Amino acid sequence: MNPDGTIVARKLCKSFGRHQVLRDIDLTVAAGEISCIIGPSGSGKSTLLRCINGLETVDRGVLKVNGEDFGYVEKDDAYHAVRPKRLAEQRARIGMVFQQFNLFPNMTAESNVMSGPVLVQKKDRVACRERAQELLASVGLSGCGHKYPAQLSGGQQQRVAIARALAMEPTIMLFDEPTSALDPERVGEVLAVMRDLAGNGMTMLLVTHEMAFAREVADEVLFMDEGIAVERGDAREVLANPREKRTQAFLERVL
Amino acid sequence: MDVIETTTTRSGPVPSIRAEEKKRITPKRPRDYVAWAVAIAIVAGLVWTAVTNEKYRWPVVFSYFTTQTILNGLLVTLLLTAASMGLGTLMGLVLAVMRMSHQRPVSGLAQLYITFFRGTPVLVQLVFWFNIAALYPNLSIGIPFTDISTPVNVNAIMTPMTAAIVGLTLNQAAYMSEIIRGGFASVSRGQHEAAESLGMSGFTKLRHVIIPQTMPAIIPATGNQVIGMLKETSLVSVLGVADLLQSAQAIYARTYQTIPLLIVASLWYLIMTLVLSVPQSMIERRFSRSTRTRLTPAATSAEPGAGQLVPPTRESLL
Repeated sequence: MNPDGTIVARKLCKSFGRHQVLRDIDLTVAAGEISCIIGPSGSGKSTLLRCINGLETVDRGVLKVNGEDFGYVEKDDAYHAVRPKRLAEQRARIGMVFQQFNLFPNMTAESNVMSGPVLVQKKDRVACRERAQELLASVGLSGCGHKYPAQLSGGQQQRVAIARALAMEPTIMLFDEPTSALDPERVGEVLAVMRDLAGNGMTMLLVTHEMAFAREVADEVLFMDEGIAVERGDAREVLANPREKRTQAFLERVL
Repeated sequence: MDVIETTTTRSGPVPSIRAEEKKRITPKRPRDYVAWAVAIAIVAGLVWTAVTNEKYRWPVVFSYFTTQTILNGLLVTLLLTAASMGLGTLMGLVLAVMRMSHQRPVSGLAQLYITFFRGTPVLVQLVFWFNIAALYPNLSIGIPFTDISTPVNVNAIMTPMTAAIVGLTLNQAAYMSEIIRGGFASVSRGQHEAAESLGMSGFTKLRHVIIPQTMPAIIPATGNQVIGMLKETSLVSVLGVADLLQSAQAIYARTYQTIPLLIVASLWYLIMTLVLSVPQSMIERRFSRSTRTRLTPAATSAEPGAGQLVPPTRESLL
């Protein structure tokens, strides 16, 4: 079986100082599956996502991404952190979309999209430029390639950010509250792009407050609270008939 | 009495306005004229005394303005500025990188250096380096635990010029490191994260993403340092380095034309700072924080996002 596009986490733990933000989190995402992590702020959802591409280091537990131990190697009964170069290689196969877009303001939209393939994968610049234009067109931004991020609206910037992540041809896409920083009228255009992506069979793991989107697109939902995975299951099932009290209370407040 | 025309709205009548094109005038107040009068009086008084007080000896000023001694001094001043600025920036970069290190001993060492060199007057530092031989008369440079070494006579190498460059450079490095560090601090954490999540190596990230974004904070501040350094070099005259000030002093020690020669030196400093301030203000307009953003040419179009603020750094890196 080809393990590309899978995420498996077992008993992940993470603390910031004395504050434990992840407590024995289990997570399984199959290839092509769309999973949403929901929960109140401060519940550890973003931290979990950030652990999966190495923006945070895990304290304890096992994490396999694309079938490989992520960020460490097992040797002599212990997990040893991998060298930065190896970590970068593993990260290059995981696309990340941030709440604040984080486009590079010193580059045009097109250069932002090209930056990964050209600077990391050392691919041919001309081919990358063509591919970047295709990707920008696929997120509805053909003709915006020459613009700088500050000349684009929030929704446009976030779509460029998605194109930039896709340019690396990732096996998995992670979204960290991709629509939370947007004007309400711009949310739809970003969700539309994500819906397309989901339809094309990309493995997606997203932290979101868009419950309607989760119900429509997600296969699985994970509800987290205070660092604990409270409830996990079929998206429509969990959102419609939550079993746990805390999930019920949360959904009552947000729906 | 005029009958006030009214327009009736849903909640009642309101006075209606006839649209008439009339000029709006803000009346000048007495203080506007007083400010001008005082400023003109001060400038006129200064010019009057400069012209009528013969002790200024303007003819002497002009006769010495371009003598060889003064021009040589000018050259030394410019060389000192360039050398200590260049070396100071390089050393400042190293210090800034050390200061940002996650390793406590490394950042602590840089911090110690910066505190010391910013906390003592540069004039004291210059005299100190000139007299360093009193502390370490002989240094020997060599490879530890071997016999290979070369003795160095500190007194012989620490000429006034060496002391001047060493003193100014070490001092400048402390200030430059803080400017460079500030530049790096101005780039948000999210930029590092975005670059890292694309799989960029540390070097690629710095070279293509982070450093270009530090420039708007670093370049204008560095320009100010250059202008400051140009004037600061006059301190080296106490060591006997034949810079612009020392050259002027050498002449008036013979001729007793103290004031005219100080005017010569001042005019040259002024000219040089003015010349430097032209590129400086151009750079500042391009980079400075307050004017960092400007309207796009498309500001009037209805396109979404048009009219938003754009950073003026226009180079495409790819």
